[in-house]
Amino acid sequence: MNELAAQVQEAIEQALRALNEERGPEEQIEIHAQTCLFGEASVLDSLSLVSVIVDLETSLSDMFDRAISLTDDRAMSRDPVPFTDVGALKAYILELLA
Amino acid sequence: MAADETHPGEFVDLVPLAQEHAELTYHWRKSARAVHLNEGAASIEQQRAWIDSRPSSEKNFVICLKTGTPVGMLSLIGIDTTHGHAESARFLIGDEPAVRGIPAAVEAMKLLYTLAFEQLGLRRVYGTIASDNVMMMKWQKFLGMKEEGRLRSHYFINGRLQDAVMFGILADEYRSQALPRMNLLITAGRSPAGRA
Repeated sequence: MNELAAQVQEAIEQALRALNEERGPEEQIEIHAQTCLFGEASVLDSLSLVSVIVDLETSLSDMFDRAISLTDDRAMSRDPVPFTDVGALKAYILELLA
Repeated sequence: MAADETHPGEFVDLVPLAQEHAELTYHWRKSARAVHLNEGAASIEQQRAWIDSRPSSEKNFVICLKTGTPVGMLSLIGIDTTHGHAESARFLIGDEPAVRGIPAAVEAMKLLYTLAFEQLGLRRVYGTIASDNVMMMKWQKFLGMKEEGRLRSHYFINGRLQDAVMFGILADEYRSQALPRMNLLITAGRSPAGRA
């Protein structure tokens, strides 16, 4: 994994860890590349997904010193939208940063 | 559509709150997920009485999956057609495991805004959030609400004084900012990996 990919992976995992801090001990999310964010077998409802997206947009924008939106027209036009799992989200962010 | 009818969506329906929901909504309000809301009724009987006493300026709903399973509640209160505003309130997902991977919360908000802005013709929806409720503030900002002010030490919730953070959204902001984001999340629930 190159440095940029590792940074993005860490940012996603940090957003999920922040969500875990707001959840009870029985609601903790296992964090790994295949963690399903939204869809079948998902561990998140839409409130939690938005929390992750907002935290991630903030941290990425700070990290790369530019505004990063994960929910603009580009995301809307993708099929499926890039929130299915951690891997898909990471790939989408790397595309945005390229 | 009359405001006291069911408002159907793709993943959820907004069903008018009725006596049959008293026990369920009472237990939701007593759950850990409701920790940031004002204290609700002290008994199921009080909850029944509260439901009966809702004024005509309020539209109170239970959020139901398309299977009919109730998963949460949401209200539009203080509806004022003279000034063209109302308050979004009492938003609670009571059965979180049932809505994982389903855009239930976001579609419920979309249905409420559709009622407010498109059916009732209101110009503004507003609300307050207890300052400890960080997730709800992130949620409302993401969905287009603007922070408009703060009432200091306004609530005593969860054993401590909290500010009431005031949020509002105008009709044009709903259409230009909130609706595209809502549709994106609803699309995510529609994807091949989605449950619905």
